[in-house]
Amino acid sequence: MAQSERGPASRGLDVTPTLDQLRRWGLEPTWSRLVTFAGADGATLTWHVLDTGPAPLGTIVCVHGNPSWGYLWRDVLRTLSPGWRVIAVDQTGMGYSERPGPRRLSDRVDELVRFCREEVNGPLVLAAHDWGGPVAVGAAVSLDVRALILANTAVAKPDDIRVPPLIAVARKITALTCARTPVFVDGAARMTARRHREALRAPYRKASRRAAIADFVADIPVRASDPSWAALSQSAQALASLQCPILFLWGGRDPEFHDRFLRDLRRRAPQAQVERFANAGHYVCLDEPVGTVIENWLVQSLAEPPAATAPPASVESPSAVAQDPTTFRTVLANLEERSGDSSLVYEGPDGVMSWRDLASRSTSAASALQRHGVHPGDRVSILIAPSVDLLIATFAIWKVGGAAVVADASGGIVQLRRLIKGAAPSHIVGTAATLAAAHACRFAPGARLAAFASLPGVTDLREPSKGPEFIPVINHANDVAAIVHTSGATGPAKPVRYTHGALAAQRDALSDLLEVERGEMFTTSFGPFMLLAPVIGLGFVRPDFDVDKPRELDFDTLSGAVAKGHVSTAWLSPASAEKVASTSAGRGIDLRLVMLAGAPISTSLVRSIQAITKGEVRAPYGMTECLPVTDGTGPLTAGPLGGTATGRPLPGCHVHVVALDDVRGPALVDGEWGEILVSAPWLFDGYDARWSADFSANVLREGRRFHRTGDVGYFWSGELFQLGRAQHVLRTADGPLASVAVEAPVAAALDRPVAAVGVGPLESCALALVIGGEGVVRLAPDSLASAARAATPHRIAAVLVGRLPTDRRRQSKVDHTRLAATVSDLLAGR
Amino acid sequence: MKVLVTGASSLLGRSVALELAKRGDSVTCFQRSSSGTGLPDVRGDIRDGAALLAAASGHDALIHVAALVAPKAAWSEAYAVNVTGTLNAQRAAELCGRFVHISTPSVAFNDAPAVGADAEPASYEGRDVYARSKAVAERLVLQRSEVPTVVIRPHLVWGPGDTQLVGRIVSRAKRHRLIVPNHGRALVDTTYVDDAASAIVAALDHARAGTDAGNRAWVVTGADPRPVAELMSGILLAAGLPPTFRSVPVPVAALAGRVADRFWPGIEPPITHFAARQLSVAHWFDQRETQRVLDWSPRVSVDEGLERLALWFHNSR
Repeated sequence: MAQSERGPASRGLDVTPTLDQLRRWGLEPTWSRLVTFAGADGATLTWHVLDTGPAPLGTIVCVHGNPSWGYLWRDVLRTLSPGWRVIAVDQTGMGYSERPGPRRLSDRVDELVRFCREEVNGPLVLAAHDWGGPVAVGAAVSLDVRALILANTAVAKPDDIRVPPLIAVARKITALTCARTPVFVDGAARMTARRHREALRAPYRKASRRAAIADFVADIPVRASDPSWAALSQSAQALASLQCPILFLWGGRDPEFHDRFLRDLRRRAPQAQVERFANAGHYVCLDEPVGTVIENWLVQSLAEPPAATAPPASVESPSAVAQDPTTFRTVLANLEERSGDSSLVYEGPDGVMSWRDLASRSTSAASALQRHGVHPGDRVSILIAPSVDLLIATFAIWKVGGAAVVADASGGIVQLRRLIKGAAPSHIVGTAATLAAAHACRFAPGARLAAFASLPGVTDLREPSKGPEFIPVINHANDVAAIVHTSGATGPAKPVRYTHGALAAQRDALSDLLEVERGEMFTTSFGPFMLLAPVIGLGFVRPDFDVDKPRELDFDTLSGAVAKGHVSTAWLSPASAEKVASTSAGRGIDLRLVMLAGAPISTSLVRSIQAITKGEVRAPYGMTECLPVTDGTGPLTAGPLGGTATGRPLPGCHVHVVALDDVRGPALVDGEWGEILVSAPWLFDGYDARWSADFSANVLREGRRFHRTGDVGYFWSGELFQLGRAQHVLRTADGPLASVAVEAPVAAALDRPVAAVGVGPLESCALALVIGGEGVVRLAPDSLASAARAATPHRIAAVLVGRLPTDRRRQSKVDHTRLAATVSDLLAGR
Repeated sequence: MKVLVTGASSLLGRSVALELAKRGDSVTCFQRSSSGTGLPDVRGDIRDGAALLAAASGHDALIHVAALVAPKAAWSEAYAVNVTGTLNAQRAAELCGRFVHISTPSVAFNDAPAVGADAEPASYEGRDVYARSKAVAERLVLQRSEVPTVVIRPHLVWGPGDTQLVGRIVSRAKRHRLIVPNHGRALVDTTYVDDAASAIVAALDHARAGTDAGNRAWVVTGADPRPVAELMSGILLAAGLPPTFRSVPVPVAALAGRVADRFWPGIEPPITHFAARQLSVAHWFDQRETQRVLDWSPRVSVDEGLERLALWFHNSR
């Protein structure tokens, strides 16, 4: 009996979404329709689809997983139409589609191919989620697919991980969990926000409508003897062979398809771009505005010629061009050259270490890492505070060809977990305490643990090698060397990827900047710089303080560190420098050079450090993504628009100042301020798994990749002056003002810290000045208000006084965003 | 141009009339008493439609400033002056060919802070008789416009000789009755009288076909918002008084206002519920569109206005 002759009820087509439901779910009622097409055995098949209708750019066919339906693609349907035709299909037996009986993975692939051939003309993009992933990937090879988007899915079960727990349980009792009761449907629906649950459950209200859910779970192959194993393997091979642009959208909080699956996908399709949402769950497409990401990504990946569709990582970076792999001096070069040197590379509260020891001990640790499964390209997270062990671990990771994932704990354990989890390391090197925390808090499920200690279940990196001599891996310029993180002081911390080529170029730039001479020692209050010192070829003295609390470095601690060795150079964060200055009590420290960086540096801070050290004080400009940018000379130079003098751009570093809304436009002339763009051989490689951030933070111009710093500033006589963050630009009715430029003259006149914030509409705000003082922010007394107004040419709506909030991490930058919110509420009368 | 100005005995009406005369327009003033402008006066009551029609004949435009600004007036009285009077003015303007109606930002005030706001539609939920009657009038004007019409809502007009804002603050301070909700921290716009007058003149010039200004209400301010407390101190200092006032929490001020609304014997209570609400939340406006459309911008900052006010107090002492 042909299926078409059966009644709608027996085919499962009697249940359809009502107009009222569709409207309530934010779907256009006209999108919902039934499509009948020829199935595999000559019979017809009817699918329910949400179809936004003809569109000029092409068609995006979206495939849901199990147990969900086309509603999943709500944001894509709403955002990408009417430019794109978006068709969110309900797979056979699921959603509101026909229920003809069990389907295997290969059947589903075949049906999707037939559907697309029947329904789609012109450019085709496939998007899939969950177990829709292998279906779409399998279909993609038979179709002319322009781009592929995959969200929280898998095309294979990585050998070293278990079957996702919900699936594992469901598989054992499929009939009970999936069909007879709504446990599986409900369990899945609970993985997203409450407002989506009604829609997700609606097509699966009765047991008879859930049969396919059970069949789908039963069909998931977990061993080679399962019927669909071959089909899944085909999809896995297909993914590796696809030539089209691929985007992985990933919810970082998915207990089913967690980050190990993403790692597996990235390994199979290294050219793919990744947008990972740390706070989204399994239903990332419902949890996050993925429509906008997809829209931007399609514009970028389809508009450019195929050669340029590779991620920004592969845009030929200056470092890769300049460095011939055969003569390339890697980050290990200084250590290798000094492997017989018995002078100290490190001196700290935990002990001392010579160059020779570092060389041999890191080789032995590298050998241990290799024996315990670290392969070239693997990511190894380091959870060790600056110490002898940190240096050994880092160099060991590089010697074994791994990438070091560095995240500090100053943002709290929750943030640390988020950062480590996001990097998805295969190994974690730590101490007894940090590994216990990493294990208990599940920093990286499945990662193997290692330490310089004997702990149960943990690789001991001190274990001597019994096999043949370890030969360090040769790292190439484009290999990933490190994942570090932005401070989080100006937005959520982002993972920043560096290649070996960029780190080597950075080493050379810093080496030139610091004018290092052999035998000199270095000290710093920045954690990451403690790693850089031996890379540069500098011995390093670690001051005895908690590096996560820069404000705890006082004069005595610094002078204690300087007194230990031949310390000639220090690199201080502004918070540390302030503390040192305020606790010096007229005493001095003999230093040749002090670098101040990390936030705009006030001239008074420069003066006090000059008074203490009698050496040269520099304030170079730079950021986690590109450091250093300028040489930091002349920090007391006054520019016509105010701001912080940062010196001249370093050789090899390209710096442009461009109009705020025109990053591709011409560079501005001296004295005109705008956003600062930087490009250098030591520029970062990209934000890891953050396609959107990369997209908005990088700009290609003049054949180079420039980083949009988000800072505003200007050039004057060849020197770069920094005015502050672009997001703190105050767009008043009289034009844009840089907050620093407004603050500086008032702060100077009153000799008190001042913050300028805008209240009201973003594009036409009113200016309020907050004078630093004690207590909560409130209106300033009349006399103070008049004095502040007298010091500025700008129209000031209100003058307030009170404690200025600083960011939690660096404790140095005034948190303008928080302050603006406080002031807005106050002046609004809320 | 021959222009009839109603309510020219008020500070704003007088300033508009003089501003027009200064630039060469021929101005007639229409109000119950003498306008004191030295310009031709027609005495009459705005409630008297026939008198107004007669006065308007032969003019090219009518600017309607006259209004009853009394928070505790009877509704019938407010209606007669502010609604019927405005409709009379509109009928008369239809003879002339152009109409500029002076409304107030209070017509759209609904307790919520207005932060860089636009001119929202007038609402009948105004907290007091004045705001409600002006709201009715504005909506009726905008509903029926036979001739080019522009509605201007000047925000808190003040200046030398001002009996409304400045006069009330000074007289309450002298009687130690000046109270301000919540330390007067709400940011408010004000309009120096000269700027309000020049904006109205600009509105008159744009009350013609082919401009963006017509058949809409425009909030006009000095675009120099300040916290209420700062304005109060500034005015008191200009008047030679100590810049002190009592701050009360918003709910207390609101309650005091409610009580005064019901039980205060005179028409000038120390605070009304409406005033308490209005002084406790921000109301300042995004003036870019207004300034572009009217091709006008304010000239007198709050600080300069206060200097002029101080000079005036000094000279009139």
